[in-house]
Formats: sequence, C-alpha cells, structure tokens
Amino acid sequence: MSGIVNVRDLKVGTRVMLGSGAEVEIVSNPGDGVWLFARYLTADSASGEEEMIFAQDVVEVRSGDQR
Amino acid sequence: MNATKGYHSGLVDLSKGLISREIFVNEEIYAQEQERVFARSWLFVGHESQIPNPGDFFSSRMGEESVILCRDRAGTVRVFLNSCRHRGMKVCRYDDGNTTVFTCPYHGWSYGTDGKLAGVPFFREAYHSELDRSKLGLVEVAQLCCYKGTVWANWDAGAPPFLEHLGEFVRFLDLILDGWDGREGQAELLGGVQKWIIPCNWKWPAENFSGDTYHNISHRSVDLVGAGPSGRSRRDYSELNVARKLHVAIPDRGHQTITYVLPKDHESQAAYQNSPEVAEYFRHCEEERRRRPGVNSRLMGAPGELFPNVALLPRQPRTLAVWHPVNAHQTEVWRFFFVDRDAPRVVKNFLRDYYIRYSGPAGMTEQDDMENWNYAHAASRGVIARRYPYTYEMGMGHAVEDYEFEGLRMPGRVVDLTKAQASEEPMRNLYRRWAQFMEAESWDDLMTWRRDAARREAAE
Repeated sequence: MSGIVNVRDLKVGTRVMLGSGAEVEIVSNPGDGVWLFARYLTADSASGEEEMIFAQDVVEVRSGDQR
Repeated sequence: MNATKGYHSGLVDLSKGLISREIFVNEEIYAQEQERVFARSWLFVGHESQIPNPGDFFSSRMGEESVILCRDRAGTVRVFLNSCRHRGMKVCRYDDGNTTVFTCPYHGWSYGTDGKLAGVPFFREAYHSELDRSKLGLVEVAQLCCYKGTVWANWDAGAPPFLEHLGEFVRFLDLILDGWDGREGQAELLGGVQKWIIPCNWKWPAENFSGDTYHNISHRSVDLVGAGPSGRSRRDYSELNVARKLHVAIPDRGHQTITYVLPKDHESQAAYQNSPEVAEYFRHCEEERRRRPGVNSRLMGAPGELFPNVALLPRQPRTLAVWHPVNAHQTEVWRFFFVDRDAPRVVKNFLRDYYIRYSGPAGMTEQDDMENWNYAHAASRGVIARRYPYTYEMGMGHAVEDYEFEGLRMPGRVVDLTKAQASEEPMRNLYRRWAQFMEAESWDDLMTWRRDAARREAAE
C-alpha cells in the first residue's frame, strides 16, 4: 500500500513532517485534498508562523489522529 | 448579412417593423453579442438567500462565463470569474456549498473567498518566491449591486449603476421582490434553481417574456385543463375584468412588461380557492398591501423582460428566469422561484406545487412556449428561410407617453391592451436597445438619458 498521506483525513492538532524536515501542526483543514493550514513547530526562524501547506509537501504523520 | 454597423437600417429596421432572421441564427452576430451586449450589461447572478453564511457559494453564469457568487469570510458578497489565473481551470465545480478556499484541481493554486491568491504550490522552490501573488487573484466583476436580496453584476466599470440602468422599471422588479403585503424586499428563493437547455437562440424567450400576449392560443390546453391555483384557467386573475391591461416599454433602457392597473377603489378578488389556508393568507396580504401607500399598490404584475436576458413573472407563478446564451442555437434556462420569506409552510408548499406545474422544464405552460421557440428557431436556419425577415408591425405608432389611469401615471411608452389585446411595441423596444448595444462604441452613445438631462439643464 502507498505511503502517501491522505491530507483530507488529517484532523486539527495533528503534527506532520514536511519534505524540508520541518514539523508543523495543523490548525485547519479545508478538506480539498490539496491544502492544509498549519503552524510551524520547528525551532528555526519559521517557528510559530502559520502557513498554507501543499499536500505534496507532507511526507509523514508524526502524531494525532487521522479520521 | 450586413457588416457590424447598420443594425438599425439593415438587420433591425424599426421604421418598417422588420427584423432579419440573421440576428437569431447567425454565428458571427452571436459572437459579437457576447462582447457588445453581455460583456457590458447588468446580469442577474443569484439571490442573497442562497449564500446566507460566510464561505457560502453558488456557481452561477454571466453570459457564457462561469462565475462564483460567494459571501467571503468577512460577510461581503462577491462575484468572481470561475477560472484559475494559471491555466484557466474552473476553481469551483460544485453547484453550491460552503468553503474556506477555492482550489484549482489542475496545479493546486488556491484562492480565498475574497478572491486573493493564497496558495501556490512550490512557491519558494519553483517560483523562488518571485511570483507577485497580489496581482493574480480571481478576476472580480467591475460592478456589483445587491438589490432587495437579488445580486446583479457587470464586467464593465463604465456602465451606469444598476438602479440607473433600471430607471423607472424598478417598480416592476419590486413586484417580485417586495412582500405580497407590500413590505419591502421580503422575497426568498423557494427550493433550488431549475436549469435546462433549449435548442434556440436566447432572444426567443427574451422576446416572448417582453410581453407577447399574441401567443395565448398556444396555452389553450393549459387553460382548458385548469392548471391555475383555483383549478380554473392557468392563473387566478378575475381582477382583469376591472383592470387596465397595458404594455409598458422603457425606450432608453430596453426593459418592457405587461402590467395591469387596478381602479382606485378596487376590491380584492377571491383567489387560491383550492386551499382555504392559502386563500386566507393572500386575502390578508392583499388587505395589508392596500393599506400601504405606494406606486405598486394598484399594480398587478405580469410577464416582463429586463434587458438583456432576465424575465420577470411577478404573479402566479412568481419567478425570475435567466436566458444564458450557450451558442447561437442553444440557451441554458435558469428559473428561480420566489415566495414571501414569512409565509407559512403550507403556503410555500402549495406554491411550489403550482409553480412547477406552470413553469420550468416540466411546467405545462413553459413546455408550450419551448415548442414554439425551438421549432421557430430550427425553421429559420436554412438559407432560404434567412432571406425573409420577421414582421414586428403590430400596433406601430399607437404607443403613448404620460399614460395615466385614475391618477396613476405609467412611465415610458404605453399601449393600452384592454381593447387592442396585443401589440409588438415591447419587442420593438427590446430590439431597438439590442441594436443600440451592437452599434455603440461607448457608454456615451448608450446613456442617452444623461445627455438629455444635461441638455434640459443647459436650456433652463
């Protein structure tokens, strides 16, 4: 089975890792399968920032539930 | 066919009451219409009751264009072209719903409900953060007007404001949008929008709803079967025995309608006799309406057309129809049904049954009309048929201005149909305005009323 994350299933609060290695926490999910709104958790200059995350950037679910 | 110029003297010859079939069947003329009529006219997009909450949207149309009517997260009503700025894919493929973003399924560009471009995949990596996202939001209409719940939009920033475009015709639109008891803006949409495609040019239904009373013979079977709300004829309109039946045409705007003017001290007539609760509701509303002074308290609405492609039917059934052009030979019809938002459920249900019995693809009266338009269009496409113009000579030179009946003045040019039964003044009015749009290079040529007002002012 494919290891691709189905972003439509990700709930608010779920932590995911991006291709860049950064970890983000989902703050809202429009459910379109393409975008997530998330906050950066990584201890770098982007930490705490909210940004739209493209589905293809999500490489791994770190914590939290999937629907 | 004539060149672009010369619609008045050639294709639309109102001095003789002749109109060439080419304007209905010619594909070049159809293509010109998209630019000259639809790209600069006020077009009906939907009703605010379809998008009550932030994030609500309704996929609509303006001419051939797909548009999104939505209420953004801040509550503002907006209308956007439904086409991604990257490669043009539709960013919304649902009829209606609620969303936080409109995401293009092709490459993933994403827009907020305010139209701003919010997400571009690989913005940093592939675009090196160099793309100016602020310039690539969804294309928004140049002008938008919410009038008593209805939403109208225009691509042309130079067009006059919507209410100026309506002019004195506004009172006839109010007959649909105000409550039956005379309170302002009480209409809400009943159910969904009925949509279907018919094989004829969009001007066939536009002409018919301009006020064609001559074709009533087509509806004989509906009258005989008694599709009306009291089981007689197709409407309850015994008031017609005492009312003046008029054609009203607003020459410089291109709007026209049939209307009935009631005498000063008229008594309301029994209606909706198949349901005592519904009959009582309308009796009460009529009483309230007469108590409220206003220009419309003595008017009874009837079919009309708001230039270019919106039909009014204020009374029995109470609907708006939009004739969306698909190509020269096809029209997509959208019919919106209205009720008073405060009406009891039993009244709304009764009206729903009556409305769809009358109008829409399954409506008995609309089916009669569609047969006429579809077959007339098909029979006008051949090279021989195209040589012979249609005649619009009925009642030429018999319209009057400053018409008044028992103290109620009517705007525009009026033909009293009480005895004449029919005239083609409204159709001539529609095509006069159509020809003006097809010829005019600028709004200076189209807003003749402003020029006339300036002249009057200068003379004083």
